[in-house]
Amino acid sequence: MIRALIYGLPALLLALIIASFVNVSLLRQSRNNEFSVGMLGEPATLNPIKASDSASSQVAGSIFNGLLRYDENLEITTDLAESFTLSQTTTVFFSSENDALTGLLRLEAARPQWESLRIQSVRMEGPALLIRLGEPGMAASEKIFANLAQTVPVQVVRVETPEPAGRALAKLRAAEGGGAVIRVWEEGSTAFEVSVLGTPEKALARVSFYLKEDAGVKVRLVETQGFLAEPEVVFQLRRGVLWHDGEAFTSHDVEFTFRALMSEEVASPRKADFDTILRVETPSEKTFRVIYRKPYSPALASWMIPILPAHILEGKPQEWWVAHFDRKPVGTGPFRFKEWKTNEFIRLDRNPGFFRAPAPWLDGVVYRMLSDQLALRLAFETRQVDFWSVDPWAVAAFENDPRFQLFAMPGNSYSYIGWNLRRAPFDDERVRVALAHAINVPEMVRFILYGHGTPSTGIYTPQMWFFNPHIQPLAYDKTLARRLLAEAGWSPGPDGILQKAGKRFSFTLLTNNANEIRRDIATLVQDNLRDIGIEVKIETYEWTVFLRNFINKGDFDATVLGWALGPDYDQFQIWHSSQVNPEQLNVIRYNNPEADRLIEELRQEYNREKIIRLAGRLQEIIYREQPYLFLYVPESVSVVWRDAFRIRRPQGGVWIDTPIEMTKAGWSYFADWFYRPEYAGHLPTVGSPATSQ
Amino acid sequence: MLNFIFRRLLVGSVLLVLISIVSFFTITLAPGAPYPWGELNPKISPQVKEMYRKKFHLDRPLWEQYTLNMKGLFTGELRSLKDERPVLERIFERLPATVLLNVYSIALALVFGLLWGVWSARRAGTTADMLSSVGAFALIALPGFWIAYLALIGLVNFFGIPVLGTQSYGIEFPNGLTQLLDRLWHIVLPGTILALGGIAVQSRYIRATVLEALQEDYIRTARAKGLPEEEVFYRHALRNAIRPLITGIGALLPALIGGSLIIETIFAYPGMGRLGYEAAIERDYPTLVALNFIVAALILLGNLLSDVLYAVVDPRVRLE
Amino acid sequence: MNGEKTSSPARRVWRRFLRNPVALVALVVIAFYVLMAVSTGLGTLLGVHFPMDPNATNLSDKLQPPSLNHWLGTDNLGRDVLSRLLNGSYISLSVGFVAMTVSLLIGVMVGAVSGYFGGWLDNILMRLVDAILCFPSFFLILTAVALLGPDIRIIILVIGFVGWTGTARLVRAEFLTLRETEYVRAARALGQRAFPIIFRHILPNAFAPIFVTAVVGIPDAILIEAGLSFISLGVQPPQATWGNIINDGRTYLLDAWWLIVFPGVAIFTAALAFYLAGDALRAAATTRQERK
Repeated sequence: MIRALIYGLPALLLALIIASFVNVSLLRQSRNNEFSVGMLGEPATLNPIKASDSASSQVAGSIFNGLLRYDENLEITTDLAESFTLSQTTTVFFSSENDALTGLLRLEAARPQWESLRIQSVRMEGPALLIRLGEPGMAASEKIFANLAQTVPVQVVRVETPEPAGRALAKLRAAEGGGAVIRVWEEGSTAFEVSVLGTPEKALARVSFYLKEDAGVKVRLVETQGFLAEPEVVFQLRRGVLWHDGEAFTSHDVEFTFRALMSEEVASPRKADFDTILRVETPSEKTFRVIYRKPYSPALASWMIPILPAHILEGKPQEWWVAHFDRKPVGTGPFRFKEWKTNEFIRLDRNPGFFRAPAPWLDGVVYRMLSDQLALRLAFETRQVDFWSVDPWAVAAFENDPRFQLFAMPGNSYSYIGWNLRRAPFDDERVRVALAHAINVPEMVRFILYGHGTPSTGIYTPQMWFFNPHIQPLAYDKTLARRLLAEAGWSPGPDGILQKAGKRFSFTLLTNNANEIRRDIATLVQDNLRDIGIEVKIETYEWTVFLRNFINKGDFDATVLGWALGPDYDQFQIWHSSQVNPEQLNVIRYNNPEADRLIEELRQEYNREKIIRLAGRLQEIIYREQPYLFLYVPESVSVVWRDAFRIRRPQGGVWIDTPIEMTKAGWSYFADWFYRPEYAGHLPTVGSPATSQ
Repeated sequence: MLNFIFRRLLVGSVLLVLISIVSFFTITLAPGAPYPWGELNPKISPQVKEMYRKKFHLDRPLWEQYTLNMKGLFTGELRSLKDERPVLERIFERLPATVLLNVYSIALALVFGLLWGVWSARRAGTTADMLSSVGAFALIALPGFWIAYLALIGLVNFFGIPVLGTQSYGIEFPNGLTQLLDRLWHIVLPGTILALGGIAVQSRYIRATVLEALQEDYIRTARAKGLPEEEVFYRHALRNAIRPLITGIGALLPALIGGSLIIETIFAYPGMGRLGYEAAIERDYPTLVALNFIVAALILLGNLLSDVLYAVVDPRVRLE
Repeated sequence: MNGEKTSSPARRVWRRFLRNPVALVALVVIAFYVLMAVSTGLGTLLGVHFPMDPNATNLSDKLQPPSLNHWLGTDNLGRDVLSRLLNGSYISLSVGFVAMTVSLLIGVMVGAVSGYFGGWLDNILMRLVDAILCFPSFFLILTAVALLGPDIRIIILVIGFVGWTGTARLVRAEFLTLRETEYVRAARALGQRAFPIIFRHILPNAFAPIFVTAVVGIPDAILIEAGLSFISLGVQPPQATWGNIINDGRTYLLDAWWLIVFPGVAIFTAALAFYLAGDALRAAATTRQERK
């Protein structure tokens, strides 16, 4: 008996092992019409307004739609919205109706200039003039304002209360009776801001007066405005869009999404994008209007936020969302959610009723969660995922293999070395420029990226429409670097290390431990700088430790990092001199008044040409000062199996197959749908080709 | 006996509370913070961070957080900071894959360990036995991740076989059997590597106990009675030698749900090890607290079970 | 056999050990690695590198397969793998020895006290061991590294602190039996105090199993360091260890097998040699006891 077990069980197990091996190697590649994408990391949620990680956004992106989206050239275009219009109402207050009338007359007199100032109409309302502008922004309004006399300023007063602020606000409203308080904006349950007419002292006194009985209420003046500049966006929503469950999409869904974004129970990480909104309105089922508190041009792009179905979520508690929606979402997108197995895969089905015809040709998409780059590679090579963002070193192996095709796209990120500008010697611009000349960036690109990248010339990446192409990267020049350092007072010491006033040029280069490329960069920098007599020590830490203990505290000499920022010209958080506190992002303590001014103007500018000019200038002055040693912009290279996919495109009335193409936004497989050649015979018939002409 | 179990349970619970306190503070006081969006994110405003902290009670004093965590753990209301799901749900959904892998590798270790142990015990003192003992130590000395890498190089480069996850993708399986075998293959690979060390340890252990049993008086008596050597060996010596195996079951309790981070990462296997590691990296305190608590409880229970089984199997042992 | 009777027990064990061919081979391998580690360690101190500087990058030579210039190939930064392997041997073995010593010291102390005194002290200490086995060691390492810096000394200490529980249990068990032997009883009856008894009478008799634990503890620590490298918590770059050469090479697995194979062989053979030596020692030691 025992004997039989001792010899029988191993034999049985062995047989099973062999059978499974034979089975897996014999499995015919009878592939289904499914596209599978490998991902690093598990999405936290598929509720797009709660998601902050790229994995979540990637999956949610094929289930949901926003009002707007980026097109192939990374420019804003419409999605759930059919069209949108931008305008602005600038309101100027006067001390009396008479003064307002005088102002109105003065404006009427200047009618010939209305065209260039984009004025559409002017209207008087009590002692105030309401000027409608065809383009939001501050510049035109300021010009108009300079021509007006006897105006009354607007004071924005912030009120913070220890308990829910509703009571204080109600009290204030009741007391004022709509008098001097002209705008109210509620930030959350315990803070709100009111705009009050008059001088700062008067306004503060007024608000404080009505709230003085409440203990712990803090009242603070935020800013003084000469006038109100309130941009407005009106979206016309697309007709006939259905949610995956068949309900119709309306402006109510958009309004609901906005309310959810602002609510404290949701605590959406995307909330800050919507903080400048004064109010939203839904004049009709297919119209959605947003009124902003002040010009803030990046806010437009925030309407790419995926819209949630109000008919499912409204009135439900957060626990319900988590249990019934966040992991099985209902959207409007090209694919419908089907199944999620944690740490394994998320499976989506095609949505035959997708509003942007044609509907996908694929039966579905599978996102596979894999653990690291190596796993992605292995999964790709065994054809378990259909496409892979190749690591640079592996590109060569795929390039020469006829089974694969590669696509390269300039990346949307850059790597840099950040110098702590509050620490000597990095407070010296000459030293920073010298260091930039001492680092062999082209070699770095060649050997770390295998040529798949370009030297970075500042805070924007080349495929952005506001990128400044006239800036030349600083050349690698050891002699020049030595000379610049000598000019800055650094001379070789007895141990071969540069010295100045008895201090050796030695510093610690920090980076996070999980990023191999950053570690490699650090090692190369160490080598390059040793050549010119600078000692570099490398330390790496786990990501959160690295940030908490060093970066946020500003306790570092230099650090290797990168930014992946998206197509956004607003870089207030990273470069403005006000953003230097712990947990804020100007970690190197950059401070330049001109840059500050440019950054502020940029955020208020809606005019494309002006944005290009301002952004170009900003990029130029930051690059000149070298607060970062800008290293490179990596190219992202993707590889697919050559026989895997085609795009179906309408051309001259018939649908034709074209190979996969690359756009600035990547090879956007969610706009043009792929299929496998062997499925050509039985393609879905939805979205039949246009037959006219 | 009952008295003993009761006392051990009592001591165990006190110990568990102490462990949970110490581990809670180690986990929360470790540097870093649980921001699911990462910290260097220009889109996140300080107000949002504040809202988030409030929502998950991270703004409360630590001891209060501890009691909230423990209460939540027992009411099942403790929710992950990552996706707000109950942590028990997150842990339980990993159980099938984890237990399956562990059952396979434990079975492999026991079955092959027994075979090998018996084989070398019968050849004790010969060159073959010496070589087999060198082989056993070789398996123990093999770094698991290294052998996994070598296996990957071989399987992918030479066979092009799927090696990751729990199943093959993009394939239409002709029938249920092939699908089942496919699943099995995805357990076989990481499971065998996990079992290598276990097989070797087990074989050494069996060999030692069998050899010891062969020295006992009752074996000599059996031999003296003229029983054939085969029967003496299998019926008498082995039966006694296997007895200690039963007491080892206690130690298997925590092992069943334990995970190996490294092997799971290499094979992209959705097990408990990766859950713990990801929770640690994300500073998902509730998940970590729950995992730690469950594992600690199972270890303590396993210890108790071993002691009790020991007494059951061996009447000479009295539990006091 | 005559010689054995006149020499000390330790020497007899040693002789029997040397008579075992497996042990001899293991010893030679260990000696080889130790020699390698000591000489490269000395070389690093003096600034002499063999065959070349282990940390010198040479990008035009990256990921070269083994050749006459680079016997074991080069890594992703063009560093010579052989040089890094030799240099890493000195770190890896140091990690093994020092971490083992740390955990041995703690383990013997705790085990001895626990086993000798027994009672409530034993109870508390053993529950402590239970607790430590239940404890999230990952966080202990993380916290230590974050608070004290990713210094190699810190990592060694942490590995040592995590690994003493096994030794403690073994020593305790050893003491529980030895406590009841006649000579210890006699010593106690003569009124000797606890610690002299522990150190003079019990510890020397428990020496063999402790020494075996020590020998086996070295490869354990080396393997733990390699595991830590896997989650980037190991020794800092550019310092090479056997473990982190493998883990840095992991991404190049399908392109550069030599980054994985050679350091793996080093870890494997060294660990195997230590385990075999430990086993042979145990065999030699137990034979002595049986004959007595």
